[in-house]
Amino acid sequence: MRAIRGVLLTCDPAVKQILLTMNEKESFIIEDLDDHHLVIKADEEYRVRKELEAELEKNTYSLET
Amino acid sequence: MSSKRSAEGNAESSSAAKRARRDNDEEDYSVMGNEDDAIPPSPPDTSLVPRGATINFSALTRKLAEARRSKETEPGNLSSLEAHRRQQDSLVSHIFMDQDFSWLHLKPDHASRPLWISPEDGHIILEAFSPIAEQAQDFLTAISEPVSRPAFIHEYKLTSYSLYAAVSVGLQTEDIIEVLNRLSKVPVPESITSFIRERTLSYGKVKLVLKHNKYFVESSHPETLQLLLKDKIIREARLITAQTDNSIKAATFTTSKAPVKGNLTIPGTKESEKHKDGPMNGRPDPATTRSATDAELFTSVVGVESDEIDEDDENVHAFEINDAKIDDVKRRCNELEYPMLEEYDFRNDTVNANLDIDLKPATVIRPYQETSLSKMFGNGRARSGIIVLPCGAGKTLVGITAACTIKKSCLVLCTSSVSVMQWKQQFMLWSNVTDRQIAIFTADQKEKFAGESGIVVSTYSMVANTHNRSHESKKMMEFLTSREWGFILLDEVHVVPAAMFRRVVTTIKAHSKLGLTATLVREDDKIADLNYMIGPKLYEANWMDLAAKGHIANVQCAEVWCPMTPEFYREYLREQSRKRMLLYCMNPNKFQACQFLIKYHEDRGDKVIVFSDNVFALEAYAKRLGKPFIHGGTGQVERMRVLSFFQHDPKVNTIFLSKVGDTSIDLPEATCLIQISSHFGSRRQEAQRLGRILRAKRRNDEGFNAFFYSLVSKDTQEMFYSTKRQQFLIDQGYAFKVITHLDGLENLPDLVYRTRDEQIELLQSVLLANESEADPGTDVRAGEGDLAGTITSKDFGTLKFPAAQRTTGSLTALSGAQHMSYVEQNKAANKNLARSEPAPRHKLFMKREKEKAAARKAGRS
Repeated sequence: MRAIRGVLLTCDPAVKQILLTMNEKESFIIEDLDDHHLVIKADEEYRVRKELEAELEKNTYSLET
Repeated sequence: MSSKRSAEGNAESSSAAKRARRDNDEEDYSVMGNEDDAIPPSPPDTSLVPRGATINFSALTRKLAEARRSKETEPGNLSSLEAHRRQQDSLVSHIFMDQDFSWLHLKPDHASRPLWISPEDGHIILEAFSPIAEQAQDFLTAISEPVSRPAFIHEYKLTSYSLYAAVSVGLQTEDIIEVLNRLSKVPVPESITSFIRERTLSYGKVKLVLKHNKYFVESSHPETLQLLLKDKIIREARLITAQTDNSIKAATFTTSKAPVKGNLTIPGTKESEKHKDGPMNGRPDPATTRSATDAELFTSVVGVESDEIDEDDENVHAFEINDAKIDDVKRRCNELEYPMLEEYDFRNDTVNANLDIDLKPATVIRPYQETSLSKMFGNGRARSGIIVLPCGAGKTLVGITAACTIKKSCLVLCTSSVSVMQWKQQFMLWSNVTDRQIAIFTADQKEKFAGESGIVVSTYSMVANTHNRSHESKKMMEFLTSREWGFILLDEVHVVPAAMFRRVVTTIKAHSKLGLTATLVREDDKIADLNYMIGPKLYEANWMDLAAKGHIANVQCAEVWCPMTPEFYREYLREQSRKRMLLYCMNPNKFQACQFLIKYHEDRGDKVIVFSDNVFALEAYAKRLGKPFIHGGTGQVERMRVLSFFQHDPKVNTIFLSKVGDTSIDLPEATCLIQISSHFGSRRQEAQRLGRILRAKRRNDEGFNAFFYSLVSKDTQEMFYSTKRQQFLIDQGYAFKVITHLDGLENLPDLVYRTRDEQIELLQSVLLANESEADPGTDVRAGEGDLAGTITSKDFGTLKFPAAQRTTGSLTALSGAQHMSYVEQNKAANKNLARSEPAPRHKLFMKREKEKAAARKAGRS
């Protein structure tokens, strides 16, 4: 019996899709529950959050000063 | 807000607060702070506080109170106000780093003064809610460039060009500084006054005047001319006339009275209607009459008229220069930082034949058009420059009025052959110019006007083109370059490439130039070039002001966020950039939002235009929603039919337009605009599209609002572009509301793509689409002589002949004998519109009519 420490992520469907694409590069999803919920590896959480942030930031326009 | 408030060394409130504070603790102080927030805090402080920097308010006040208590024990000779301010300074200043301007002390009555000037970059922040904001605005638009003008706080910027423009409309250095000082909350910083002095000293002091067809360098400051003459190049270019003896003095100048505005009236203004005889009678400028009441306070605010008289009383000195060396002199003067202002004394020009045109008596121009023209003809001469007016505010009429004021040969340049026709039409409509006086020079038509003077309308590329031309165009070009033009009108100046522009300006000899545009923005930063080549910005209208006065429609702008469905987003993440665009355009949620908004606005009685740059998406939407559409591939006849149905048939309330509708189709019926796909981050396109509904017919109905929706797929690049596109309009004072959820969308009957299966089917069709379908604006192509990227209705009706196709099959199948029949399921709505041609008459009647006509003919002869 092997146990993996996981974290439940609640997100909107779009973010879930981004996470699924990220998962293809480096697997971290343990279980894909439904449109809004995922269980991911706990020790990957920090990295995933950071990458997601960067991905979402790409679509934001800010005035360069 | 309250935290920002505390940073302010507010004289009144802190002295009032002092009393209260003595026996109360810091909580009362914070209440005081909140009360103060009822009046919005002054802009200087708001601009200084970075949004992220939040000050822990209670901690700050506690610290302050402690410091005060310790201070109060020891007898200080500082007043408690000053002490208080010092403590604040030391506590807060480190937050602002090098942006700390707390050393600029506020004047005691700063609350009644509306503006603040940054000592570093010349940005001016204006409280637009101040009672005297209107006067301040008039003044600021004269001396600086508007950066951003939302409802309450306006931002302006002092630049070399804007000061140059200020001087060119007759403002004097000391007046500028004095008025700034009067309006400013802080004493005008030394850096700013020296900047203004430096710029105004050199700019506009020297004028290049074409008089009797000779170039004169003119100045009211003889010492400046002497300084210029010390330069070798300029000295050599000088033409010494016989009566001038230059034996002892370094230079003597021909001195003459400066021209006064006198009896020049701009046609179409009220003045010209009730034209008075007194030649010195200044026009009753609304600004001066209004400010008469505030005269004590603001004698010199926007003293354009009165300042001019001061200036005009002085003598003007001039020396003549050689025509051939004019370019060298101009360049040299720029190097010496004495750029020459070009003015055209058209009333005293006897060499060039007058063109006898006038506005039709019924034509009356609007107040802001009058203001913009008075900037141009301020001292009775024509200045070169740019006038910026929003789409639909009557730029053409301004141009025509200017031409009618100058009354000399005039060359009009525009971007495409269609606008050439429009300009000609407008000239015929508003002025009494005859058909013989106005000529057209395009790829198809090469005309010359009859007589000595006239108007030629052409495109930039026709005039700037240098290589392989037809014999006819070559001759036409010779005609254009050989003569002297009184006036050159440049339409849509912001789109013309700099190189092309330079060629036009150098090949055509014109006395004065006027550029017209709605959006002085470019995605590349080439705007500064225009300043140099045409002249300063003479006038820029405030969009919000015009809307408030009913010249353009009030518009509610909204951005609707449509979440991507998981399936579409999955494909979006995996696709390459070109196809991505198609995916976010075709997002089923966007489809639904579009359907909902169309339904909602049709029920309200609005006429809706839906814009899509992407032709694939356009057709898909229009067919699915059963609405007529027009794109580049739509034939001329079909297009006319669709447009006339939209205009006149109460049953056709929505049309879909591709990029072709951006500029060339004028639909004053439209009151609502929905944008489903657009050309990336183009601010100009956004403004142009908004312009489609600014001239709405119903704009003067009470409480009328036009609507502008931009549908955006969430979490995609579209969000980025959408925000970027809005920047120009936001700077003009428009506010975009974000709608994240449309209420009642789910309950809409016959909502499209409701089920997942339908959505997946749509996705399949998108994925199957050709990659080239994803490109925006593929349906338009430029005609010869049009600028690249301009859209004209000429692009319509291009028949696309399909390439030859080879298929193999049995003869039965090919002849249709296999009992196969086809039905078009999802027809374009265009085809359902009834044909407008009347049914042909019956043979019997036709025969009878023929006989009748023959009989009539026989009877006459």
